[in-house]
Amino acid sequence: MTGTSRPATPAPVQLPRILGDIHPRPRWTEARLLGIVGIALVVGSISLSAGLTGRLALYDPQGLIIYLLALTGAHVAQVLAGRRSDEVLLPVVGMLGGISLLLMQRLPQDLVTTDVGGSTLGLGDVQLIWLVLGVIVATTLGIVVRSDNWLRQYKYTWAAAGIALLLLTFVFGSDVAGQRLTLRLGPIAGQPSELLKVILVVFLAGYLSENRPLLIEQDTRLGPIRLPPLPYLAPMVAMWAIALLIVVIQRDLGAALLFFAVFLALVYAATGRISLVVIGAILFFAGSALVADLFPHVRERIDIWLDPFADPLGAGYQIVQSLHAFARGGLIGTGLGEGLPTVGGRPPIPEVHTDFPLAALGEELGLVGVIAVLGLFFVVIERGLRIGASAADDFRAILATGLALVIGIQAFIIAAGNLKVLPLTGVTLPFISYGGSSLLVNAVVVGLLLALSDKGVEPPPPPDRVRRWRDRLRPRRASSRRAI
Amino acid sequence: MDGPLVMVWVVRLLFLALLYLFLARVVRSLLRDLRAAARERGATLGRLIVVESPGGDPEAGRSFDLDAITTLGRDVNNAIVVEDPFASFDHAVLTYRGRSWYVEDLGSTNGTYVNGRPIASVAPLGFGDELSIGQVRMRLERARSA
Repeated sequence: MTGTSRPATPAPVQLPRILGDIHPRPRWTEARLLGIVGIALVVGSISLSAGLTGRLALYDPQGLIIYLLALTGAHVAQVLAGRRSDEVLLPVVGMLGGISLLLMQRLPQDLVTTDVGGSTLGLGDVQLIWLVLGVIVATTLGIVVRSDNWLRQYKYTWAAAGIALLLLTFVFGSDVAGQRLTLRLGPIAGQPSELLKVILVVFLAGYLSENRPLLIEQDTRLGPIRLPPLPYLAPMVAMWAIALLIVVIQRDLGAALLFFAVFLALVYAATGRISLVVIGAILFFAGSALVADLFPHVRERIDIWLDPFADPLGAGYQIVQSLHAFARGGLIGTGLGEGLPTVGGRPPIPEVHTDFPLAALGEELGLVGVIAVLGLFFVVIERGLRIGASAADDFRAILATGLALVIGIQAFIIAAGNLKVLPLTGVTLPFISYGGSSLLVNAVVVGLLLALSDKGVEPPPPPDRVRRWRDRLRPRRASSRRAI
Repeated sequence: MDGPLVMVWVVRLLFLALLYLFLARVVRSLLRDLRAAARERGATLGRLIVVESPGGDPEAGRSFDLDAITTLGRDVNNAIVVEDPFASFDHAVLTYRGRSWYVEDLGSTNGTYVNGRPIASVAPLGFGDELSIGQVRMRLERARSA
């Protein structure tokens, strides 16, 4: 705040309203949709039990009930808080999470085991814990976040934190399966690139909304192409360099592709100029071709993608098995619990729970099921774009667009990888893949979207640098000087 | 064909059917939402909210719905009359071209400011930006939705 007084009434001191001042507001659409989610998941669980054990009963009723209770709790909490936020997002994401729970209960439980208090938890139970935590995180953020200033004002701090995180992973990250993704801090291990994607969107929203007018200007001419003033292209070049660095050092094609695609999409959303996107895409492909030439691991990935059947039992094994799984599934699938005959006690696709959940779904639910899952992701994107389109100012619009696109593009990259449309990359399928980092970060994204969609959020603050013009005013008529 | 096997098939197909029922309900609610938004919008491309106005005309907090060409100034023929001693009679014009707003200064004495910076002639104006004419500060915002 600058020193000058404002005619508007000062904002009343907001005391934390925990209890006593509750204005519940019904959310019928959400309640109805969650009802269908519940019924569908119960039927799915019965189908799973029929496939695995031959009995028509709930498979692992405890886990399913805990998950459905968490969703109900999220709904009730939002009703009690009286939020007017989006009512479609939670059921859609809840459905995706439920499908994930069924899938993880169905896969061999010893793929992931954790010891908690003497008892050993298998894949399904660990995933359930992360899912419930995710629901709690999303709901809490959706209810508690009433202002976006903490994101808006510290965009360079966020960017610095993101780059620091990236550097830490470069230096201290441990290599798992040829990719340097995991960062360990004592007992906590996580994949920073998951968190990084949210930080990237926050920074880009701040940067693009502030410099949008300058980026729209067309100063520099390069043949037939008109570009914004050169200094404002610097972040673009920096992003390009960072994306290539991620490929070279982290060997993470997926994250690089995701970051750069989100970046280009947001530049387009902010400026509406396709030429910037075309230039960016050309730069990226030129850089990728160069990197593929120089680094054998990238070259290898692309070779596998072009012809996995060249080495079906070695390098191409995963993708060949994935294609077989889709083929076995056919139109309506083999039914939950009836696909994936194991090879020597293991599922045929290595890392099916993190990298290939779509292939598992494709086998057991068929083309019909895969299209339904992809449809759910499209709904998530649509909601984000809608929230962005009705946002009060550019920062929120770009932020909501970016958050939705991060999920959508990531889902597309890994789905395309499983189907051999794109080279296979190690990103997760949001809300469905096993993994704590992925689920929690995507829950943060959903929570922020819920908060941004609320029609009662604090209005955006006035832009900076508003008062400098005052000193330069000259009265139009001499007499009016006295009036001031 | 024995009974249990038929039941297994029924349950399998029912699960897929429920997935699509859910999708259909979601899409229906999205369409309803989009139609409501389409009805409500169309009329305005944005609005200008008066943030500060020492003269009281227009009063602070007032919101103007904008046409594709909206003129501002002290002259009563302007779409938005800014009754401020530091404003010119024909001060500035807001235009909506392509997909964004632009503000053009019409040779005013005191100039037009976007976020506190004087504009040369035409400048793009983003949603959330502040426009200053004389001592009156206004903020461009999206048309209200739902």
